[in-house]
Parts: sequence; structure tokens; C-alpha cells
Amino acid sequence: MNDIKTISEDELLARIKEIIVEYSGQKWALIPLVQKIQNEFGYIPPPSIPLIAGSLGFFPSEVQGVISFYAQLYTTPRGRNVVRVCKGTACHVRGGKTILKLVKQHLQIEEDQTTADMEYTLETVACIGVCALAPNIVIGNQVYGNVNPKKLGQLFKRNGG
Amino acid sequence: MQPVTITLNGREVSGHPEMTILELARESGITIPTICNEPHLTSIGSCRLCLVENEQNGALLASCVTPIVPGMVINTESPRVMEHRRMIVKLMLASHPDSCLVCDKGNRCQLHQIASDLGIGLLELQRIPQTAAIEEVNPFIERDMSKCILCAKCVRACQELVVEGALDYFQRGFIARPATLNNSPLENSECTFCGVCVALCPTGSLMEKKRVYQGTTKNLVNTTCPYCGCGCSISLEVKDNYIVAARPGKVDTENEGTLCVKGSYGFDFIHSPDRLKKPLVKVNGAFQETSWEKALEETAEALNLIKEQYGPDSLAVLGAVKCTNEENYLLQKFARTVLGTNNIDNSSRLYNPATRLGLGTSIGFPGTTNCLEALEQSEVIVAIGTDPAASAPRVNYAIKRAVKLRGAKLILIDPRRTKLSSFAHLWLRPKVGTDLVLLNSMSRLIIDESLLDKEFVTRKTDNFDALPGALEKYSLEYAETLTGIKKEEIHSAARLYALADQAAIIYGTGITQHPGGTASVKALFNLALLTGNIWRNGGGIYALQRDNNGQGACDMGALPDFLPGYQSTEDLQAKKKFEEHWGVSLPANPGLTALEIMEQIKAGKIKGLYIVGENPVLSFPRSDFVTEALSSLDFLAVQDLFLTETARLAGVVLPAASFAEKEGTFTNFEGKTGRIRKAVAPAGECLPDWEIILRLANKMERPLPFSTIQQVMEEIEELVPLYEGYLDSEGKYQNEWGFWKRRSHRWHSLKGFPRFSTAEYTPPEKKINEDYPLTLLTEAVLYHFGTGTRSSRAWRLQQFSPRIFIRINEADAKKLGLSPLDKVRIISPVAELTAAVSITGALPEGIASLPASFPEAPATRLFDINLDTETKTPSLKACNVRIERIDDHE
Repeated sequence: MNDIKTISEDELLARIKEIIVEYSGQKWALIPLVQKIQNEFGYIPPPSIPLIAGSLGFFPSEVQGVISFYAQLYTTPRGRNVVRVCKGTACHVRGGKTILKLVKQHLQIEEDQTTADMEYTLETVACIGVCALAPNIVIGNQVYGNVNPKKLGQLFKRNGG
Repeated sequence: MQPVTITLNGREVSGHPEMTILELARESGITIPTICNEPHLTSIGSCRLCLVENEQNGALLASCVTPIVPGMVINTESPRVMEHRRMIVKLMLASHPDSCLVCDKGNRCQLHQIASDLGIGLLELQRIPQTAAIEEVNPFIERDMSKCILCAKCVRACQELVVEGALDYFQRGFIARPATLNNSPLENSECTFCGVCVALCPTGSLMEKKRVYQGTTKNLVNTTCPYCGCGCSISLEVKDNYIVAARPGKVDTENEGTLCVKGSYGFDFIHSPDRLKKPLVKVNGAFQETSWEKALEETAEALNLIKEQYGPDSLAVLGAVKCTNEENYLLQKFARTVLGTNNIDNSSRLYNPATRLGLGTSIGFPGTTNCLEALEQSEVIVAIGTDPAASAPRVNYAIKRAVKLRGAKLILIDPRRTKLSSFAHLWLRPKVGTDLVLLNSMSRLIIDESLLDKEFVTRKTDNFDALPGALEKYSLEYAETLTGIKKEEIHSAARLYALADQAAIIYGTGITQHPGGTASVKALFNLALLTGNIWRNGGGIYALQRDNNGQGACDMGALPDFLPGYQSTEDLQAKKKFEEHWGVSLPANPGLTALEIMEQIKAGKIKGLYIVGENPVLSFPRSDFVTEALSSLDFLAVQDLFLTETARLAGVVLPAASFAEKEGTFTNFEGKTGRIRKAVAPAGECLPDWEIILRLANKMERPLPFSTIQQVMEEIEELVPLYEGYLDSEGKYQNEWGFWKRRSHRWHSLKGFPRFSTAEYTPPEKKINEDYPLTLLTEAVLYHFGTGTRSSRAWRLQQFSPRIFIRINEADAKKLGLSPLDKVRIISPVAELTAAVSITGALPEGIASLPASFPEAPATRLFDINLDTETKTPSLKACNVRIERIDDHE
């Protein structure tokens, strides 16, 4: 993912326009298009909504409606790494709640927030399907099982946790 | 198509195959409760209240979205259906606030009605009311999203009817709500406050702001909107002689349940404290209230005296684009038989004659050729010289629906960026005043590339041979030089228009108020004729009218050169017909047009003037000249709702009833008549205009033979060619499309084949004066109307749009060192005005625009009197000005 801090809003919108042009006039392409934008920037910048709408032939409010409907689409910047703490039953009985508390302490953010340096975004998930390794957390695409406070400290060392 | 038969509640019923169960049930007299269904909106089945049971398989189906299938066995009230229906309503109530007693929606709340119909009492469910902040800033609409039940009527109305798309669902699940982009307040969104969503909202979620009067109204009066030429049907909510609110007329009306902000929120002027309540006479320069008896006596005496002393042609009458057809008919009859002069004109002179002459000479039919419903079948729509979003909202909705929902292609010809620009397939920006060159070059290209409808041209038209020669010089290169539009763009516009099976043309004051507007209208007509697009559904020419009854006033003969129904005053046969019927001899010469009347007053030829509902001091060019002229009259009488700038100059002012206080008809720009009905008693001692005219005629001892409005209607039906049979056998108005079509076809067939007429471009004589480097365009604004007399007295409109702004281009603003909100002087060769600056990217460099509807700064004042030689229309669209900043210390 690009570091969004390094490009100006004009550059951002210029790049987004390049992406949008490929789908001009094609209503079906709304979701692939916003996914593509999100893949590149980590989120869908709100100023791009009227551009998308104009190009595909929607009203801006309709595009916003679709984006806000899907939990996987975001309109605020996200950290380079998304931290997902599992709150599923197995993780819960194995101390998931404490893990979440510790992650919050380490990163000094609440759920659905992003650290000021744009490094981490914290989310919770209901289950990631590896209950045998509970408690679990996922950082980026990497799953960490059997997490304990000590291990957590190492995982976030870089962040000064 | 084979009808489909199903069993509904044990009874066999049949319908056509595309019907839904709900539609068929309604047709069969079975009521199924529903909240989210609305006949003119797409059915989405979101409220689930219309559930019915399929008895063959036990499925519960939302009847509004389930088509009928042969052999279906449906029960609309089975125990299972009723159980589910009750539970759905209970769930809605559980998340709805408990504020019914204080909710202004009161008994009109559909949720409330359905809950009581289903006998739902106290809820056994845990209540989880949603909370929401109430939006408070704009003066029109209040949104309380805690009462929203997610029926999406507002969302659909916004997207499908008025096509603004300001609203859609935002978020998901329990927190989902209809919202604007970025969830911002309505005033910061695309919302135009048309009020259609408010009219459709089933609960108190969307309400109009601060109703001046609280309480549930039961009395609804169906009438016609008195603002623009669209003539939308409206329904006035009345209680205790007070108009509480206005809603779109019933669904089956022309406007399909839509209105604009003026139609929904512009009627406070009826109850304005400024209304005239009693007749006024001027004694020693000051107005004094008097009785009708005395005021009419004085008027009658003065008019009779002038007539005796100087002859009938020293009198003139100006009326009445805001008054009814019946009143206009009476007024011209009053001028011609009681006063004995053809000096009668109306203020549609300011924008309409180009249409009358241009279309009149071509097809003989002086107005729009098709109805607005047909526009939505167009493949291509050309909109030129008009910003219908401001001047004719219903036309705007129709264009956008055609583009957005039916895939029509819009060719927009306008130097300004308007709200339609984003809907345009092609947007051509000609230099101001060069439309004719563009249109002629399109015609030439259509002929050169053989894109014309040869069969139609040979068999159904006249005078084609004159055209190719006349178009010789309008090559693409020539057009590109003059209009500033690339030739490729002109080429594609011409091809797009010519190759479409149905292509319509819409034009407005941007064509007719320019000098030479008649020629442009003829050129537009040539285009339509070349491609066979006249009368075709989805084709035709739409000539927009500014005023509610501009069309009707002309149809009724409130014109100096036409008797009712466009029968020339010089047509001896027509004259004889009217003379026989009216029992008088009519004046032989055509009379004077509106501006000529002003000139002749100044020249001392006209001594007395009678004005009905017009305000020439503000609406005519050169208000100093008009004021001087009117002040120099021996006698001036004005009939109006308010003491307008013009009425202040009068010797006698007669208080008139508003549209909501009388009966009659308006004719809209399509030529359809809309009924107006009395909703409240007239303010003070006001009388309907027709009654004033009748009483005055009595006082002048030349009584007109009418005592009721019905008798006037009957005479119109008998004598006015376009209005034969506009009353049905029960004396009611006929207004449906079939009738209208028959009528216009009969008219066309009378006049023979439509003719091509050549239209030559004459470049403007005057060179641009370097002292006045900017071109100023006058424009309509959505929130005000006409001269602003009425709209400035509607408090919501006035509060939302209180001041005048001149819009100028960014580059020009930079050159002049202007920032937004700076106060500037706008100086033309004849006058100056002050306004605040608004900087915009919507205008090309060198062009500024100023709305015409603010009484404190009437844009018309900047114009010199510059009459079109053919139509006597003053040029009121573009003039040259310079702009100077007013520094604060001044």
C-alpha cells in the first residue's frame, strides 16, 4: 500500500481519476472500482465519491449509500497494518478480552481507530476459524495464535508498546 | 395479451399479465394496507405490510412486487397474514418515538392509521426508540430521522421524480437512514426543497418547517400553481380560512405528484399583511382608503372623460399574465367594446412574441406542439436558451427523467453551466447572441449529408426549396468562427439530432428575449421540420412560457393585433363574427404593444391607462422612463394584490383577489388548461379581477352581459377557436391529454402544411463599447419569481434567498480585484444597480449574470429600450455593463 501521507490531495484525486476513467459509463463496475481505489489507498477518499458518481452515472448519494452499506469499504484512512483481535467464543474463554485490552494499551487507540502514525488500525472480529490456537490476533495478513501478554509485547515492539 | 385469472379471497378475478397482486386487488376493491407503495414510484417491497398468502404453497408474498400468475390462489387476510402484518407494525412502533400527541403529522400519519386499523393497542415488545438530531437551519424542511420507518419514499421521489438524487440510504441495519452526501444538512446538499418528499413521507419524519398554523387540516382544495408557466396542479390545505400548506396535486395530474420550492412553500403572500384590503384613491398626492362605489365611480368618470375628450385610442389597457383566461377574455372585451380601443397588451410581450411570430408563421400554431409526457419518450432532447431548473422546474424534471431513466441524450446549448450540464451528452457553449448561426449550420449540415426525412419534407411541408440557398453561407467553418464552438461538436450535435427517431426541442427566454429571437425560433422550427420531428410523440417543439398564464392571456386575445384565438384584428370575417356576437362595432386598426404604449404616453398621445396585475416599473426596461411616463398620465388605475411600485403611481388602486380566492382557469405553456378554485375568502374587501372589470363596465354604463364566471366560460367556448369544448357536458374542464391532442391537431389541420421559413443572421450593429466590457445576462432564479412581488412576501423563500448576487467568472473577478460578497456597482449606459458578488466557474470569461426577480435591484433597469422590429419585444436578455467595487468607507 502507498503511504498516503506523502501525496497531496491533488495528486490523490488525479490518480483516482485515472482509475475511474477505465470504468466510465459502466454502472456495473461500481463495486470493483471502489475496491480498486481502496486497494491502492487503503480507503475511499470522500472527495472521490462525486467523481465516481459522475463517471458511472450515479448520484453521489447512491455511491455513498453503497460504500456505507459494506463493512469492508472505508471512507476514512486506515493504518498500514490492520490489527484484528478475535472475540469469538474460543478466544473469549482463553482470555481474548484481556488481549484486546492489552492491544488497546499498546497502541493507545480504541476499536475502529487508527494510530496517529498511520501504522495500525484496530478492529475486532467474531472468529477467524483457527480456534485451536486461541486466543488469536491477525496483523495485516499474518495470523498469530496462542497470544499471551509477553508475545504481544514483541509483536508491537516496533511501535514502542 | 391474454388476461390472467387468479383467485383472490375466494373470488376469481382477472387482470393483464404485468399487474402485481396489489394492483389487481386494488382494482377489485380489496384493500391491502401498505406504506412504502406509491403508484408513481418504483415498488421496492420494503415495508412488508402488503404481505398476502399464497394458499397453494403457504408462501407469504409482498403483493406490491409479486406479479400475478395464472391459477394463483391468494388470500389477503388469512390468519397468518394478519398475524405477521400486526407483528411488522408492532416492530415499527417499537422503534418509533412515543410522541404522537405532539407530532404535527397527527391523524395524517400512515403508521398511526394502519396501527389503529389493525387494532394494535399497547405493545408487548421492548421499545428501542431511535434517537436523532433534528435538522434546523433551512426554512423549508425539518427532518426528524427518529420517526423514519425506512420506506424510502423520499429517496425514490428524489431520484425518480425530481431526479436530484440528494438522498439515499446511508449506513446499514439499525442505524441506516436516508441521508445526503456526507450526511450534511439539506441546505448544503443538492436538495432544491421541492417538498415532494415531505408530501410523500408517511410519518412525521419529514415535515415542513415552522407551520404558521398548527393543527390537522381536513379541507383540501385542488387548484393550479400561480407561479411559472408549467401550471402544476396543487392541493391547498385549508383550515379556518387560512392556507396552512400546499402539496402536489393528486397523482394522476400532469405533474405526477411533483412541485418545486415555490409551489410548495411560496404561498404566504396570500395572507401577507401587505395585501391591499380596500380600494385607494390618491388625494393631494396621498392614498386614502375609500369604498368600492367611490373608487369605481372615479375610475369610470376619468376613463369616460378621456374617451370623450381625446377619443378611445387615447386609452390603453395592460393585463394580465397572472390572471385567469376568463379575466383576460373579459379584459380584452372591456378594452375593445367598453373603451373601444385595440390598445391592449400583456407582459408576455417581454418574452413571448418571438414564439408567436416564429411558430405562428411556420405552423400557424403559436406555441408548444407536444405535451410534456411525450417528451419523456424522446431519444434526443435539445435544450437551448433555457435553464429550466430555475424557470420551469417541471420541465427540468421531465428532461432529467428522460435522460436518467430512459436513456435519452441531451444536447444542451447554453454558454452558462447550469444544473442540466451534468446530464448533457453534448454541451455547446455559443457566444452570446449567435444561436441562430449554430442552428442554421446544423440545418445546412443535415441537408448536405442527406440526413433529412425526405418523405416528410416532400409530402407534408411547404417552401423547402427556399432553404438550401438561404443556408449556403452557414458552413461549419463560418459557424465555428462566429459561435466559438468547435466544428466537430456542431457536426456531432447535428448528426445526433437528425439520426434520432424522436427528437424534441425546448427553448426559453434565452432565445426569445434576444433581438432577432423570431429568426432563431424559425431556425429551430426548420430543424424540427427537416427531420420530421413535428407532432411525433417524443418530438416537437416546446416553447417555455415564463408566467402561469402568459399562454392564456394571448389565447384570449389580450393582444393589440389579435382577437381571441389569434384571429387578426384585420381579418374582416373574424371581426364581423365578434361584432355580431358582441353587438358593437370594433376598432379597425391594430393597437399599440406594451412598450409602444409607454412611448405614446410619453408623446402625450395616450392619456389614460388601466393596468391589471402588472408591474411595468420593475418588469419593463428603463424604469426611469416608465416611471416618468406613468406619472405624466391624466389617469392611471391599477388592479393588484399589493401596492406595487407601479400602483404607487396610480390615481386609483383596486384591491384584487389572489388565485386562491377566486375561480377560473390558467393555460400552461403546453396549452393545457388548469382549473383554479376558491380556497379562502378574499382578504379584506378584495374582489376577483373579473368582478372588478364587470362592475367597472356597469359604472361606465356599458355593462358586459355576464353575471357569473360560468357565463364567461360559455362565451369563450363558443367564440375562441382553441377553446371549443374545453368544458365537458357537465360544465367541468377537460384537461386530459387526448382532448388536448385532438384540439391541437384540429388546429394544425386548419392551417395547411407547415412551412419552412428562412432565418438570416444579422450581426449586432453596435460595437462593444470599451467602457462597458462585460456582457450581462439576466436569469431566472428558483427561489424567486417575476419581479419578486409575490415571492419576496413568502417568508421561507425570502429568508432562504434574501439578497441579490451578480455572478461573475473567476478570471473577471481577478481582473477587477473582487472577492466573494464584495458589494459592486453594475453600470450600464442607462442605469446602475448595486449587488453582492458571487464568483463562479459556471460562466465563460466576459459574461456576468444577474437574477431578474429582486425588487430592490431590478435587472431590467439596466436595459435601454431596444425593440425588436418585428415583435416589438424589448431586448431583456443581454446588455453591456461594467462593474466597480464599492469600498466600505463609501
